[in-house]
Amino acid sequence: MENPFLPDLANIAAIRDETADTKTFTLRFLDPARWEAFRYRPGQFAEVSVFGAGEAPFCLASPRQGADTFDITVRAVGALTDALHALAVGDTVGVRGPLGNGFPFDEVKGKDILFVAGGIGLPPLRPLIWEMLAERASFPTITVLYGARAPGDLVYRDDLERWRARDDMKFLVTVDAADGDWKGNVGVVGSLFSQIQVAPAQTVAFVCGPPIMIRFVTQDLLKLGLAEDSIITTLERHMRCGVGKCNHCLIGDKYVCTDGPVFTYRQVKSMMEPA
Amino acid sequence: MGEYGAFVITDSDLPTWVGSLLSRAQVIAPRSLAGSDVSYDIVQAPTDVQWDYQTSIAPLKRFLFPPSDQILRWNQRNGGPLQLEPVYDETDRVFLAVRPCDVAGVLVLDRAFARDPEDIYYARRRQHSALVALACTQPGPNCFCVCADAGPFLDRGYDLQLTALTGAYLVEVGTEKGASLLRGCESLFEPAPEAALADRQRLALETESRFAEDKAYFAAALRKITFNRVPDDLWRAMGELCLGCGGCAFVCPTCHCFTTADCGQQSEGCRLRLWDSCLYQAYALEASGHNPRAERGQRVKARFLHKLSYQFAQKLGAHGCVGCGRCVTTCLGSNDMPAVTARIRRGAL
Repeated sequence: MENPFLPDLANIAAIRDETADTKTFTLRFLDPARWEAFRYRPGQFAEVSVFGAGEAPFCLASPRQGADTFDITVRAVGALTDALHALAVGDTVGVRGPLGNGFPFDEVKGKDILFVAGGIGLPPLRPLIWEMLAERASFPTITVLYGARAPGDLVYRDDLERWRARDDMKFLVTVDAADGDWKGNVGVVGSLFSQIQVAPAQTVAFVCGPPIMIRFVTQDLLKLGLAEDSIITTLERHMRCGVGKCNHCLIGDKYVCTDGPVFTYRQVKSMMEPA
Repeated sequence: MGEYGAFVITDSDLPTWVGSLLSRAQVIAPRSLAGSDVSYDIVQAPTDVQWDYQTSIAPLKRFLFPPSDQILRWNQRNGGPLQLEPVYDETDRVFLAVRPCDVAGVLVLDRAFARDPEDIYYARRRQHSALVALACTQPGPNCFCVCADAGPFLDRGYDLQLTALTGAYLVEVGTEKGASLLRGCESLFEPAPEAALADRQRLALETESRFAEDKAYFAAALRKITFNRVPDDLWRAMGELCLGCGGCAFVCPTCHCFTTADCGQQSEGCRLRLWDSCLYQAYALEASGHNPRAERGQRVKARFLHKLSYQFAQKLGAHGCVGCGRCVTTCLGSNDMPAVTARIRRGAL
């Protein structure tokens, strides 16, 4: 019998500073055979242990294809994430996963794809954006709208530059509050909708960010005419065990860790507790 | 009645059999505590077993799913590789003379922990345990197992079920594991005569007539919770009554929420699994500071949604209540199962 609570060991292969309080950790399993079995899809997550500090869920933030490592992007907000931020390249952590359902991919081929990300909501979408770009011909249009509180809160600056430079996708970014050097759009992410054309019947939107942002963007998308099934989000909850046992992440009868974390707006709307 | 047969053992032979169980396994049985309380605990001698009791103050849960359970341990010394290993408990245990409601509670835990992926810590303990029920002929004032399909006599789920007759116990054998508990003591057990089986049926019916009038009216609550038709105002009002102490969850035979916590450091430490309660304020709190169940009423709703809805009954094979009455005894705010179901049925406090 497998032990769903026994982590595999991984080393930190690289650490990149994203913002003042956010870092991306690149992890590599000590046992290469483990990577073979770690076949995840965008939208899935892993429980990462810092032994002695605890364990917490993080979305798998890099495309799997062609790699032997994976990224998690972590904002320091508490005991576990502070301990993670204190680690160095070469240190060992524990990993359980991949967990959760992941985003639809084959199911949305042939659709216009619209990504709307707020702040630290970009990491779960990042592997999906790259995987869709790798199969560019399968999607008529790909649009990424990204908003953050301030320029200093934008993550994945290399990716942002590469997306901006591509002519086979549309990439727009905004900040709630500009600083001296910012020359781009100012306003919430929803303010970018006026700058794009959306064909609602053939568009699928992937929305990820803080709860308040998801709520407003969902209303914007419904007003544009998107179907409730075509608005897809990934929900945040306190997923303690990740395997549907501890009950911390329940919304009504739905386990965010195993029934989700990816849900359509139609599913979210029918939940027995507010999502 | 006893798939693997039925036997009788005299009161005077009973200690010899219990002694044989003690020689091969840890035996957990009702024991008298200070005052009139009785609780399941490890017994050392046949005379420790309190056969004549109404109910145990705590259920069996803590022996199969301990309040604090070391599940992993590790060490990493002098820059060497990290050594990580799981910690399993494979102690052979016999749960002796436990009430049917508590056996039914274990069956709910079985389903909760066996759902894919199987919880290996619970499964190992369960594989190494046997359930010897003592059919209940003395329901307490707070008992309502008759409403919960969990007693006072069991028709399934036990390895052995004992019924106290006059001068002897009827022993129904429900499983091969149950049959194995009689091995080596065959001379103490006689095949049950017809009269003993008739006595058992009579006692079961008599016991059912002795429950208090004020039972738990589940049906309306089940329907309203399942279809999310309980007014938010009523949940809010019941939230006002809740002290958030978690007592109801800890004495409940079916509650199984947990959290984990690490002890020590990377150089040497362990991970604990700890009981938790969905009534605690920080239960659903996220790292961001967002608390999706910030209101007490929302937490009370979450608890009863898990216990009394078809959605969860489908997952767990039963409702999350066995009618043991412990929440009635424990809750200082009167948010016990019979009271809550009555309020939901009425639609008001």
